[in-house]
Amino acid sequence: MQLLAQQLVNGVALGSIYALFAVGFALILAKMGILNVAHGTFATGGALASYWLVFEHGFSFWVALAVGVVFAGALGVLADLVAFEPLRRRNAGVFAPIIASIGVWIVLLTLAEAFAGPSAVSYPAGSVPSEPLRFAGLIVLPAQVISLVALVVVVTAVHLLLTRTRFGAAVRAVAVDTRSATIVGVNSRNVLIAVAFMAAAIAGLAGVLGALSDNNVSATIGEALLLKGFAAVVVGGYGDIRGAALVGVAIGVLEVMSSQYISSGFRDAITFGVLLVVLVLRPQGLFGERQLVRA
Amino acid sequence: MSTTALLTTLQFAGVNALFALAIYASLWTGVLSLAPVFFGAVSAFTFGYVAGTLGLSPALALVVGLVLGAALGAVTAALIIRLDSHYLAMATIAMVLIGRVLIINLVEYTGGPSGTLVPGELGTWLWLIGSLVVAGYVMSRLSGSRFGLAADAVREDPAVAQTLAISPRRIQFVGFVISGALGGTAGVFQASFLQYIGPDTFYTHLGFVTLAAVVLGGAFHWAGPIVGAIVFTILPELLREPMGEYDRVVTGVALILIIIYMPRGLVDVRRLRLLRTRGRRRTPADEDPSRTGSTPATVEVAP
Repeated sequence: MQLLAQQLVNGVALGSIYALFAVGFALILAKMGILNVAHGTFATGGALASYWLVFEHGFSFWVALAVGVVFAGALGVLADLVAFEPLRRRNAGVFAPIIASIGVWIVLLTLAEAFAGPSAVSYPAGSVPSEPLRFAGLIVLPAQVISLVALVVVVTAVHLLLTRTRFGAAVRAVAVDTRSATIVGVNSRNVLIAVAFMAAAIAGLAGVLGALSDNNVSATIGEALLLKGFAAVVVGGYGDIRGAALVGVAIGVLEVMSSQYISSGFRDAITFGVLLVVLVLRPQGLFGERQLVRA
Repeated sequence: MSTTALLTTLQFAGVNALFALAIYASLWTGVLSLAPVFFGAVSAFTFGYVAGTLGLSPALALVVGLVLGAALGAVTAALIIRLDSHYLAMATIAMVLIGRVLIINLVEYTGGPSGTLVPGELGTWLWLIGSLVVAGYVMSRLSGSRFGLAADAVREDPAVAQTLAISPRRIQFVGFVISGALGGTAGVFQASFLQYIGPDTFYTHLGFVTLAAVVLGGAFHWAGPIVGAIVFTILPELLREPMGEYDRVVTGVALILIIIYMPRGLVDVRRLRLLRTRGRRRTPADEDPSRTGSTPATVEVAP
C-alpha cells in the first residue's frame, strides 16, 4: 500500500512534466495546425540555457528557470518566423509544415548536441532545491511539487486565457480561419507569434523541470518528452488542453506503475500501445469533440 | 572523399532510395506515413533471425522481405487508414517508436540492445541496382495506370475523387501495400549492407531522412524520391569534412528552404514542361521579351 501510494506520487509528478509539454504541443497543433516535431528541441533549449546559467555563471535556479523559459519561447518564435510563416504566406498544404518542422528539429538538435557534448550532466549540488519532504510516510521531492504546481498553474492560466479573454477569442478565431479573423479586425500575425511563444515557453518549462526531476541535463531531454507529450495529445485530443494535460498525468502514472508491476522494459511499448489502440478506436481522442469538416 | 567511401555512400543512397520510394508510394495517395521504417525493421530482423537459424538464400530473403512488408502494410492499412491526416501520420510515427521498444525487448529474436549480425550476401551492387530498376519500372508503369490516375485524384482532392467513382480508402490501401512491399525490401537491403542491425538502425532518424529525401527530390513523380535520396545521402558526407559536427545543420536548413521555395522538389514535371513550352515559344517569330515574362501563368497546367 505504501509502495503503491509512493509510486502514485512519483507517477503524478512524472506525468505533470509530460502534461506540461503536451499542453504546449497541443496549443501549436490546435491553434496553428502544425504537427511540430521540433517541439522537443524547444524543451531541450530551455533546459540547456538554464543549466548554462546555473553552472557557468552561478545564477540562482529560479532566475535560470525564468530565462530558460523565455529562451525556449524565443526559439519557438524564431522557428515560426523562419520556417512556418513563409509556408502560411504561400498557402502550402497540410504536410509542408510537418516537413519544415523536421528541418527545424534537425538543426536545433544538432546545435544542442554540439553545445551539450555527449556526456550527461546535472545541476550542481546545492544550486537547486533538493531536500526531500516527508509526508505521511511518503517521500516527496521538491522537484515533484514544483512540477505539479507548475502544471496546475499553467493549465488553469492557459485555459482561462483561451476561453475568457479577448486575446483568447482572437486565438480561437485565427485557429478557425486566419483570413476571416483578419477581416473582423484581429491581427493574426501577432496572435500567431504570441501562441508560438507561449507554446514553446511551456515546452521550455517542461524541459527545465524534467531536467530538475531527473537530475540530468542532456541534448536528448526533449526527445523523450516529445514522444510522451505526443501520446498525451493524441489520446487526450488536442481541442481542449485540459484533456491533453489529464492524459499526460495518466501516462506518467501508467509508466511508473507498469515498470513497477509489469516490466520496465516494456514501459514505453505499453504507453504507445495504448496510444495506437485509442487512435484506432477513438481517432478524435478521449476528450476530443467531433469536428465538422467540409470537403 | 575517397572512391571507396563514395561507393559505400552511393550504396546507402540506393537503399535510402528504396525507403524513399516506399514513403512516396503512400504519399502518392495523400497519406503521410513513416510506417515503411517499421516494415523495414520487421523484415530486416526476420531476415536476420531466419538467416541465423535456418539459413536463407539471398533471393528468398528478398521475397520474404517483400511479402512480409506487403502483408504488414495491408494489416496496418486496414487498421488505421480511416484516420485523419494528422492522426494517421502520428499513428505511423507511433509504430516506429513501438518498433524500437519491441526490438530492445525481444532479445531472443533480435539480440536486444546489442542488435544482431546479418549475412551480407545481398549487399552487392547487382542486387541493389536490379531491385531499384525493378522498383522504378513498376512505379513508372503504375503512374500511367488507372491506379496512378486515381491516386493523383485522391491526393489532390478525395471528395472530387469520390464523385469520380474512385474509393479513396481503397486507393490508399493499395498505396500502403506497395509502400509496405518497398519498405520490407529496403529493410532487407539495409540489413545486408550494414551486416549489423540494432534498435537504432530503423528509427526516427531514418524515417525523417528518407522523408526529407522525398520532399527534396519531389513528391509528385516517382523519380523524385530516388534523386532526393541520392542527393540527401551524399550531401552530408561531402559536408562532413568542412563542417564537422555541424553537417546536419545544413541538411535541416536545406529541408526548410526547399519546402518553402521549391515545394514540388527537384524533379518537378510541371516546371520542366513549363520550361520546355517557354523554350519552344522563344522562336524568332515572336521574340518579344515583354511577353515571355507573362507566359508562365497562362501555360501552367497540373501534371
